[in-house]
Amino acid sequence: MFTLNFLIRRLTQGVVIIGLVSLLIFTLLRVVPGDPVRLMAGGMAPEALIEKIAKDMGLRDPIIVQFGRYMGSVLQGDLGQSFVRPANGAATGGANFNDTTRGERAKVLTLILEALPMTLQLAAVTLAIALLFSAVVGIAGGLNPGGWPDKLAFYISSVFISLPNFWLGIVLTLLLSVKLGWLPAIGYNGFAYTILPAVVLAVEMSPVLIRTLVGAVSSQMTEPYVSVGRVRGLGRTRIIANHVMRNASVPLLNLLGIQFSSLLGGVIIVEYIFDYPGLGLLTINAVLQRDFPLIQGIAIVTSAIFVVINIIVDLVATTIDPRLDY
Amino acid sequence: MAALLELRNMTVALGRSETAKVILDDVSFSLAPREIVGVVGASASGKTVLSRAAVNWLEPPLTRRSGTVLFEGRDIYAMKEADMRALRQRVSYVGANPMGALDPTLPVGAQIVEKMRAVMPDVSRRQAEDRVIALLDAVRIPSARNRFHDYPSQFSGGMMQRALIVDALVTNPSVLVADNVTQPLDVTVAAQVIRLIKELTDQFDTAVLFISSSLPMVREASSRTLVIDRGRIVEEQATEALVASPIHPYTRELVAQTPQIWRGAGAVPALPAEREVVLSLRDASQTYRVKKRNGIGGVNLVRAVRNVTFDVWRGDSFAIVGESGCGKSTLMRLLSRLELPSAGQILCEGKDIATLRGRDLLAFRARLQLVLQDPFGSLPPRTSIGRMLEEPLRTHGWRDKEKLRARVLKVMSEVGLAAELYNELPLGLSAGQRQRVNVARALVLEPTILIMDETLSALDQAEQFKLLDLFQALQKEYNLTYIFISHDLAMVRKVCNRVAVMYLGEVFELADNQRLFFDPGHPYTMALLSAMPTLEEKRYKPEDCLLEGEPPSPLSIPAGCSFKSRCPRAMEICNGEQPFLTVRDEQDFAACHLVARTMSPAERASP
Amino acid sequence: MSIMSITSSHSSTPLASRSLARRVFDRAVASPGFRVGAAIFLALMLATALYPELSAIDPTKMDVKARLLPPLFTGTNWNWGHPLGTDQIGRDMLVRSLVGLRYSFLIGMASVIVMLIVGCALGTVAGYFGGRTDAVIMRLTDAQLSIPMIILAIAVLGVSRPTIPAIVLVLGMSNWPVYARMMRSIVMTERQREFVRAAKIGGSTDLRIIVTLLLPLLLPSVLFSSVLDVARMMIFESTLGFLGLGVQPPTPTFGNIIADGRKYLLNAWWIATMPGLFLGLTLTSINLMGAALERARDTVHAGGE
Repeated sequence: MFTLNFLIRRLTQGVVIIGLVSLLIFTLLRVVPGDPVRLMAGGMAPEALIEKIAKDMGLRDPIIVQFGRYMGSVLQGDLGQSFVRPANGAATGGANFNDTTRGERAKVLTLILEALPMTLQLAAVTLAIALLFSAVVGIAGGLNPGGWPDKLAFYISSVFISLPNFWLGIVLTLLLSVKLGWLPAIGYNGFAYTILPAVVLAVEMSPVLIRTLVGAVSSQMTEPYVSVGRVRGLGRTRIIANHVMRNASVPLLNLLGIQFSSLLGGVIIVEYIFDYPGLGLLTINAVLQRDFPLIQGIAIVTSAIFVVINIIVDLVATTIDPRLDY
Repeated sequence: MAALLELRNMTVALGRSETAKVILDDVSFSLAPREIVGVVGASASGKTVLSRAAVNWLEPPLTRRSGTVLFEGRDIYAMKEADMRALRQRVSYVGANPMGALDPTLPVGAQIVEKMRAVMPDVSRRQAEDRVIALLDAVRIPSARNRFHDYPSQFSGGMMQRALIVDALVTNPSVLVADNVTQPLDVTVAAQVIRLIKELTDQFDTAVLFISSSLPMVREASSRTLVIDRGRIVEEQATEALVASPIHPYTRELVAQTPQIWRGAGAVPALPAEREVVLSLRDASQTYRVKKRNGIGGVNLVRAVRNVTFDVWRGDSFAIVGESGCGKSTLMRLLSRLELPSAGQILCEGKDIATLRGRDLLAFRARLQLVLQDPFGSLPPRTSIGRMLEEPLRTHGWRDKEKLRARVLKVMSEVGLAAELYNELPLGLSAGQRQRVNVARALVLEPTILIMDETLSALDQAEQFKLLDLFQALQKEYNLTYIFISHDLAMVRKVCNRVAVMYLGEVFELADNQRLFFDPGHPYTMALLSAMPTLEEKRYKPEDCLLEGEPPSPLSIPAGCSFKSRCPRAMEICNGEQPFLTVRDEQDFAACHLVARTMSPAERASP
Repeated sequence: MSIMSITSSHSSTPLASRSLARRVFDRAVASPGFRVGAAIFLALMLATALYPELSAIDPTKMDVKARLLPPLFTGTNWNWGHPLGTDQIGRDMLVRSLVGLRYSFLIGMASVIVMLIVGCALGTVAGYFGGRTDAVIMRLTDAQLSIPMIILAIAVLGVSRPTIPAIVLVLGMSNWPVYARMMRSIVMTERQREFVRAAKIGGSTDLRIIVTLLLPLLLPSVLFSSVLDVARMMIFESTLGFLGLGVQPPTPTFGNIIADGRKYLLNAWWIATMPGLFLGLTLTSINLMGAALERARDTVHAGGE
């Protein structure tokens, strides 16, 4: 019953958030200078034609009207068509303004659905690597406050967080791909292409995870129930595995929810560097080409994912710790 | 009877070096089956360390210097880790802080089952669960089967303590060490716990080591008592003999200092000659709306204070007493206008305080002040004492630095704080000194009414006495009116002239000191008084005043008298009609049908 | 607890009045991590402030004769005049890196200040007043958090010539939610404390309580976290530079140097990697200091002193 209540409340709020985000992006795009029509039609097109095309596309209507029209079609599952990319997958960029084959544009939804699984795969591998690594380093550090595992965790996280992800990508490409040839780097041609980008992202994610784990585990170890547990007859391993880890995972979960947003930022850069055909690459290109519908579509999808992830994280957290109230 | 647990020459120090402070000095005693042995001592006397040493739970920096503990002849300090762990089945420990003792993220029942199966691996999950539920029932936790699945945060302090006792007893231990287990509990719950422990020694031949800082409490529980002072056992006698004729000077001091309630309490404060009403409550009620956790929307109504009506006179030392959950904290918040009542009125010198605004509100704040309970949480850690005391004055418009300083210094000297503390942070102050700062902060505006919210509960006996003397002196000098909110009836007996007893949000009885203690009108008051531990002969026998189980939940207060489920003298009428405060001889009131019945209709007018 | 009370009555002087913030600071400074970080940081700051002028090398001037010189001890024709080598048109890498560091650091600091002001103000209000105010502000943070900084930055800055104030604003605005949440949760717990209640009884208004009681208590711990964010913002700034959205050429910043150098990765690898190493070093030093401060704060607050 509580779960149902929680879900309904959060999903409603989630819809509001998604709506807010969409409106924000929508407005931002139209308010900030840079005319997509000009980009589409090519630099040589006459003013009058630009105006006509813009009017036809509804870009000169008041923003609220445009937004309403847009949301209307979204609710019907139509995220619109890209301004730029042609349906046949040809290279982007403006053709001549009177090129009639311009008419067929790729559907935004299709583009997103093609790119999404790639990014999800990248995210999954990243999480796996990051969690595994951080757990080993972080838990060891938390169980030995002041000892060498603790210091090691401290230095590792400080160094990792100081490496700019784009730079690391370049360096790792140089070392592991060019010089040593162990892993492939650019593009995508099989699962192995996910590994290098995932490593870069994992290096970016780990420091915060490690620090949180070290803090959470070490503070749980000072809780009364740990020492009382010893006198009640519970063994040390059991206390750590069953109780301390349980309690320590709550702040970690919270963190994962928040981290998603910065992970997305990192994904964009990393996909750009490695030319990995995921949502990130799609986004950068979309923004640089002022492809409004695509940008909006991506914004909606990512904020929806964000909302869902946060709901899941909070739900799991309340399942573990009943004192929490979300 | 052969000794079950024996401490031999136990010496424990704080650290490994030669010069480390010695906490326990050559302590020896033994425990036989079916015995309850009490250990009584002041707060830093080493009794907690003693209790932990007895079960091999000394954590660094505590170090065992010499001596050992034998259980059934085996040295528990020489055992291997695994053997010691197995021994936890036979030797159990319950401490004083129930709230942090279990993992907050797992249900209580599951954790007790976990403990049981950890030390008794042959027991099946099913068997363990059944046993735990049976025991939870035995300690009278209501609806044990449901409570089994509840989380620690859903248990009250008293229930949690009982759950931990279940945790200790689930394996049928031969020895139970109970360290200060009754301290956080209400008087009636503590009485239940002690009764339970006694029953269990009868049933299972358990030997119990009962540790407490309260001699009356130890007297309730144990047959033989040890007195510990600064790490040494100074006396050991059968309990009754110890209380009647203590031998060691320390014990004699301890007995002499225990406040007397029944015999010769000395002069109790009298009622003021003139009855000038300074504070008046008229049907004040407070209801909270709490969102339902299950189900969609909807609120639960928690009726924390219900139709409270009484007057406080100038010069009174008025006490509001009751157990946890009775509503006295909420009432305190209403009186100090931290919250406004959802119904009814509170009048201060004739004016309804809910309607005060602006300047009038500020003036009210100057007249009625509150001295808080927690000496550590109530002082902002990064403000100097002087600054802290100046703050209320500044809020009331004082600007002149000289005047501010002068007033603050004056108040500081009145409460006994050295003038040098003006610029210091509260960091190094003791609990007693901190409470003095709290009193000073309340006095700096020269109020006429002071509310003391459990102000003395966090202090030990000696500090309490000193502060009580201070209060008396201040009252005499400034003709202050005090309102004490407390659960310590012994303190109330000594200090207050009028007492109101609260239960589940209502005032059950209101009488002057002598009347309340010697001729209570309400069965609940009688039960409360009978549960109070004391060194003297008890005036009311607990057996007559039976108090079982828990009060009903404030979410669903039953119709009729809210006490009927636990009242030994409940009648038919108690199910239907709620009794109101009825007059008994002029100014004493009790809300009980028993009283109403013996009154004539003319006298039954409500106050 | 009895153990603690026994020890404390003997070890601490009765009137130890070192403030909490001071104790955290002292404890952090005493740790080796902090010292290493501080040493590196100071050295770098000195270099940044003085070297470019002292060496009289112009970071933007071309010197075709000296193009593509490798850094010290590597390759064939390295020289001491260009310790980190030169790029494809002969500009000295060291000076460029140091100038880039200036911009990075300034932008980093400025954006953290923006973040702190906005985040702490909103977080305090949300935490203190609760209820609807809180819900509104929290949903705002949610909305803000679901727009990755990169997208926001690209959208806003990818349009026209990015100016330093615009960059600072974008960076600051993208990150205030973290501080808002932090302040909110701290304020929510602290406002239940007895001394807040005491102040209310004394007649203080909410604003007074917030400003005089709560903020001085809570800011120091938040400030210790913000040190780490300076480093984060510096990385973001260089990321923006990399994408071409940061401070524009010819002014050298880490981002655009590395972006430029990417083309020469195979034969002049140092153009892309050296600046990154530099940045990494700077950031490591800041992170060591910041992490030490955070640790000290957590230990002291948990009762370590």
